[in-house]
Amino acid sequence: MRSRWFLITWLLAAPVILVAGVQGEEPLTPITSVGIHSLGPVPLDNLAPPAVPPGNPQTSDKILLGKKLYFDTRLSRDNTISCATCHDPAKGWSDAGPTSKGIKDQLGGRRSPPVSNAAYNLLQFWDGRAPSLEEQAKGPIENPVEMGNTHTEMLRTVSDIPGYVDEMEKVFGTRKVTIDHVAQAIAAFERTVVTTDSPFDRFIRGDSEALTPMEKRGLEIFNGKGHCSSCHWGGYFSDGRFHNLGIEPLDPSKPDSGRHNVTKHPKDVGAFKTPTVRDAALRAPYMHTGREGTLEDVVRLYDRGGGLDDANLDALMVPLGLSKDEIQALVAFMTRAMTSTNPEVANVKPVPQSELPK
Amino acid sequence: MRRLHVSLLLVLGILFASPDISQAIPAFARKYGFNCNMCHTVFAKLNDFGQRVRDNGYQMPGQEGREKNVFQTAPPVALRTSTGLIVAHAVSEKGTTSGFRLSGLDLLAAGVMHRNISFLMIYTPRIDEPSADYTGNTDGSNPGQPGALESANIIFSNLAGGGLNIRLGRFEPGYHAFSSKRSIYLLQPYEVYAFTTPNNSFVFDDNQIGLEVTGHFRHGFKYAAGVINGTGASPDNNNAKDFYAGFFKTFGRGDGQSAGQRVGAFAYYGWQPTKLDSLYVGPSGEADGKANMNFYRVGCDLSCNWNRFNLMGMLAYGVDDKALNDLDSSLDYTFSGGFARLDWTALYNNRLVASIMYNWVNAPCYDSERDISAFTGLLRYYLGDWTAVNVALHGEYTYRETGHDNPYREHNLAALIDFAF
Repeated sequence: MRSRWFLITWLLAAPVILVAGVQGEEPLTPITSVGIHSLGPVPLDNLAPPAVPPGNPQTSDKILLGKKLYFDTRLSRDNTISCATCHDPAKGWSDAGPTSKGIKDQLGGRRSPPVSNAAYNLLQFWDGRAPSLEEQAKGPIENPVEMGNTHTEMLRTVSDIPGYVDEMEKVFGTRKVTIDHVAQAIAAFERTVVTTDSPFDRFIRGDSEALTPMEKRGLEIFNGKGHCSSCHWGGYFSDGRFHNLGIEPLDPSKPDSGRHNVTKHPKDVGAFKTPTVRDAALRAPYMHTGREGTLEDVVRLYDRGGGLDDANLDALMVPLGLSKDEIQALVAFMTRAMTSTNPEVANVKPVPQSELPK
Repeated sequence: MRRLHVSLLLVLGILFASPDISQAIPAFARKYGFNCNMCHTVFAKLNDFGQRVRDNGYQMPGQEGREKNVFQTAPPVALRTSTGLIVAHAVSEKGTTSGFRLSGLDLLAAGVMHRNISFLMIYTPRIDEPSADYTGNTDGSNPGQPGALESANIIFSNLAGGGLNIRLGRFEPGYHAFSSKRSIYLLQPYEVYAFTTPNNSFVFDDNQIGLEVTGHFRHGFKYAAGVINGTGASPDNNNAKDFYAGFFKTFGRGDGQSAGQRVGAFAYYGWQPTKLDSLYVGPSGEADGKANMNFYRVGCDLSCNWNRFNLMGMLAYGVDDKALNDLDSSLDYTFSGGFARLDWTALYNNRLVASIMYNWVNAPCYDSERDISAFTGLLRYYLGDWTAVNVALHGEYTYRETGHDNPYREHNLAALIDFAF
């Protein structure tokens, strides 16, 4: 009898011990460390104002300075590339793709992610290697195939421009130009690039006529049979997490490990961050390789249950069984209904080089 | 006339049982803001995505610990019922009955308590309908739906990746390739699931109390194995535990629910006491039934998906020891049965589903009056696919024959509204 109770006790205790053990082995970093707002999925919604880090409050002077830096090609080694070259407002804050051209026409390995609404990313870059917009802004400057510069050289260039030094003093209280101040100014500008007035947003706010009947059907499928909102959720239409969709690499001999490059966790091999669906129609082609030319191509990829038979293919990827009409409805929803018409964002005019500080 | 009553009893019995026939958990849809079709091909049938979420302890695969738990969401409670008109016609008696019915009510709660620890509870409250339940007292003491805790289990997930998960409590055993709880048929059960044998309290698709381990692997292999009382909701009637195992393999992407092709096999081995006198009854009602004799069920199943079609089938074979067979104690009681079912979804977001199903059970020749053959057709239209709300117009027709030599024939027709929120 004693042995039976011993057995029963262990049967009951074993799962608890195992769960505790498993949880101990796999710390949840870094996504959960950013707080409860990362817990989801949560319902599709309007965008709330982006969070502003305490160390970099928004001011109009700083935003204006950041905008000038954003459009200034002098940040690059050969004065040919600015942030806006690859994150062009006229191209949905991305570029023509499939991947971006840096200095000397060098091709990058991944599609240019949009700057619009990037303030809502929990982590920046396709692989999430930067924890903030400020850190992200520093990266391309010294990336050899993007701006090809060094921080030191770029700071020397900016410091030699009196107009920038004056503005830096006005914004940061010092005439010394630092990489942190440059990054903070650019990030402050990028936090203003928020698109909140799409037909979907108006529909959510109560305008039942904001969506056409087909777009409403598309929304229903987006949030149902299409499984889209299992990852593209919340106001940002992204979970900010990393998934392996079996996307064929641009060069099969050089597979891109994606998130694995950062975490070294086997589960992250070939996983890339979920991009937002907001304004997606403005920035074809799609996926981190830019291999999918149209939104319909993207939907068909998901309809097949993903791309290549990757051993690490995300468990959320299953064939969807969408009909042609359902695909068209989804595309209609993502094309017009998710495209914002915020005048201050959609028509941001580049700062002409002639108007940049001298 | 007797057969007419039998027919009516059958229809009512099935209808009363319907809270146990199907379940879906709108609490999850509410938590995530999803439409029901995120997890259901058509409510309440799970699609591949929903199956993977269920297999993962009601957590999105890969998102364990990164979604809200029950303490961070609205109370994860949902309700489901169906109501409508039932018409039953017995052919030989030329008798017809009809009436509006409420099938009962499911109160469902489910959620994640902590990373990889989740729960499911389904309570069916007692509903008094004395005037409708003509077989019992009219004072409410014989309720149309007795209260029952249909499910109450806790799940420990991902103990060794997806390869080991443990479910403890009362649950739907995992050897079922096709859940009777999440069937879109509201009246017609899988006959071979519901078939009971003499002197054996085991019912194939009863929720059972015990412990189950399950696992799912990347290459499409899944298993479920458990040790249970085998007496459904009742306390155990002997000290011998029942065992089961099921193995499933999916070919192609998907889980065999709405994509991919799945095959499976299962076996159940149980014990049933033959001496129920002089029982010792434990504090929780368990009895130490004596002279336990064994019985087993084995079978295989198949689910094929093509375009918008899902073809499902199952074969089962059952044997009870002759000591349990009071019809002919010189022979083991053996039976076989199965079903074949074809679902077709149409309209956007699967608003419409049509399905046909054939059920059969072959009882032993000396019990051939219990042979069953049933053809069923179903049409179900979903008024909308709103977040966490589902309303379906449901039409279901069955032609059923019971018995071999002089079969009892009947037509059952139901027009119902099935809703959950």
